[in-house]
Amino acid sequence: MMSITIALSKGRIFDDTAPLLKAAGIVALDDPETSRKLILATNRDNVRLIIVRASDVPTYVQYGAADMGIAGKDVLLEHGGAGLYQPLDLNIARCRMMVAVRDDFDYESAVGRGARVRVATKYFQTAREHFAEKGMHVDLIKLYGSMELAPLVGLADAIVDLVSSGNTLKANHLKAVEEIRPISARLVINQAALKLKREIIQPMLDAFSAAIPQ
Amino acid sequence: MRQWILPEYVEDILPAEARRIEMMRRRIMDLLWVHGYELVGPPLLEYVESLLSGSGGDTNLRMFKVVDQLSGRMMGLRADMTPQVARIDAHLLNRKGITRLCYAGSVLHTLPSGLTRTREPLQIGAELYGHSGLESDLEVQRLLLESLAIAGLPEIHLDLGHVAVFRGLVRGSGIPAELETELFEVLQAKDTDALKSLCAGLTKHVDTCAREALLLLPELYGDVEVLERARRFLPDYPEIRTALDELETVGEELNPLVDTLAFDLADLRGYHYHSGMVFAAYAGNSPNAIALGGRYDEVGKAFGRARPATGFSMDLRELSGLVQPGPSPRGILAPYIKGEKALEQKIVQLRNEGEIVVVELPGHERDQDMFNCDRKLVLEGGVWLTAGIEVDLNVGLEQ
Repeated sequence: MMSITIALSKGRIFDDTAPLLKAAGIVALDDPETSRKLILATNRDNVRLIIVRASDVPTYVQYGAADMGIAGKDVLLEHGGAGLYQPLDLNIARCRMMVAVRDDFDYESAVGRGARVRVATKYFQTAREHFAEKGMHVDLIKLYGSMELAPLVGLADAIVDLVSSGNTLKANHLKAVEEIRPISARLVINQAALKLKREIIQPMLDAFSAAIPQ
Repeated sequence: MRQWILPEYVEDILPAEARRIEMMRRRIMDLLWVHGYELVGPPLLEYVESLLSGSGGDTNLRMFKVVDQLSGRMMGLRADMTPQVARIDAHLLNRKGITRLCYAGSVLHTLPSGLTRTREPLQIGAELYGHSGLESDLEVQRLLLESLAIAGLPEIHLDLGHVAVFRGLVRGSGIPAELETELFEVLQAKDTDALKSLCAGLTKHVDTCAREALLLLPELYGDVEVLERARRFLPDYPEIRTALDELETVGEELNPLVDTLAFDLADLRGYHYHSGMVFAAYAGNSPNAIALGGRYDEVGKAFGRARPATGFSMDLRELSGLVQPGPSPRGILAPYIKGEKALEQKIVQLRNEGEIVVVELPGHERDQDMFNCDRKLVLEGGVWLTAGIEVDLNVGLEQ
């Protein structure tokens, strides 16, 4: 029997995706927050969910380990999107990719006088492209979390990070100085899966696009 | 230091797989041969300009480069044999009529095109030059399907596309050339969101009809009904109309030969050198296309002689990984007896029949890898006969 596997991450993406899945007639039989299972069965025999790290979703889908997945645009930009179709902006898990600096750091004049700025980020590709487009020289420092700390302890002048409410920035005496782009979650599909399993995937695509929150 | 470790995504082909690959290569080459395709063997490396001129720059970053000590010029290790074969057709053979060529050999990629893919694919393919009609597209696609069938992959999904649909839309509606590449990229990813914002920026260049057509392209995939929708909603440019008619004709012809057949009007792989119908074959659980091909009439021009051309190619290593391995052939063990004419004759006879006969060398009788042999030659009543071997599994396991 033809079946499909959907990759998604725990937490916000899973919670926001549940209503969309429901609209397509798919309900997970376990709650990933309480269950330790990594493969979740659904009410449909031919659909299963796998729970992976957000940044791993494109990899699973690219190599066909999952037929489709839900991944933030931030993750997709880092991955590059090779081998993937990204047909739907699901308009969930929305936030903004921003440049932020310490309250007392004069970003404008640093940019203006062509200073070399040290930027700490998890999002290397996005940051590199953004600053290249501005014609700014930057030294990128790869961090895996708690980016907000870097400017406070003198590790970096600026950070590139996702900002949703801005509260974390405020609490750490940082300010957002530039928006790089808005971010939301996308539906990604393995290119071969869309061709080979269209009869299952197409109705789901249609149901998703009808149910996307505006 | 483990200096013998191979680089990443580079690997040896070990006996069992090497045999599968070689059998597959032979069967496909024999098939191409009886269809009148002549084998050519282009060099592993040549000047970068030559390798690039036929590929529209698509392969530049994928190509390993070295400096030629003789000329001081940059040479590239081929990343794709198709432009080389086009060069052979354009310059060396210089035939007026139709030329059918085939090839098989290693190509090298600087980066693997996927997690499971090697940087040294074993490319095999066939190209048909000098005919611009649909008949040659059909011949090449039929040949691809037959090749896959004799390689042991009978259930194939074939995807057809046509670069003239997008190209016609771009040229017919006056979309500026600098936006063409960007549009092409977002269409490849079926990224409708990015497409929307690109199209919003096009308002001053093109009319609403063309913009709506562009937005529709990522959705134009699926069965033959797609062509109907395309006819209804895409602008009625002659280029597009012809492309859709061609797709329909070829689709009808090939549908009975494949498991499923579909169209994808936004699939533009190799857009920079393709010029007409393109196709991709998918099989079973492979996460990417296993064979690609299409028409590339413009490539010969880069070599000074424009020739209609169409063809396909695929990676034998990838194919062999998809096929269920059959039982490995077993041999016959023969004793080593100096001057035993009857035994020698029997061995020659068996080998002529295609049997594997392994002679036990003196002093090493017990070292033989018994697993490959399930029979042995024994002398019975003055005649050498084959008899079954009782394989003692424990002997092999101890080693």
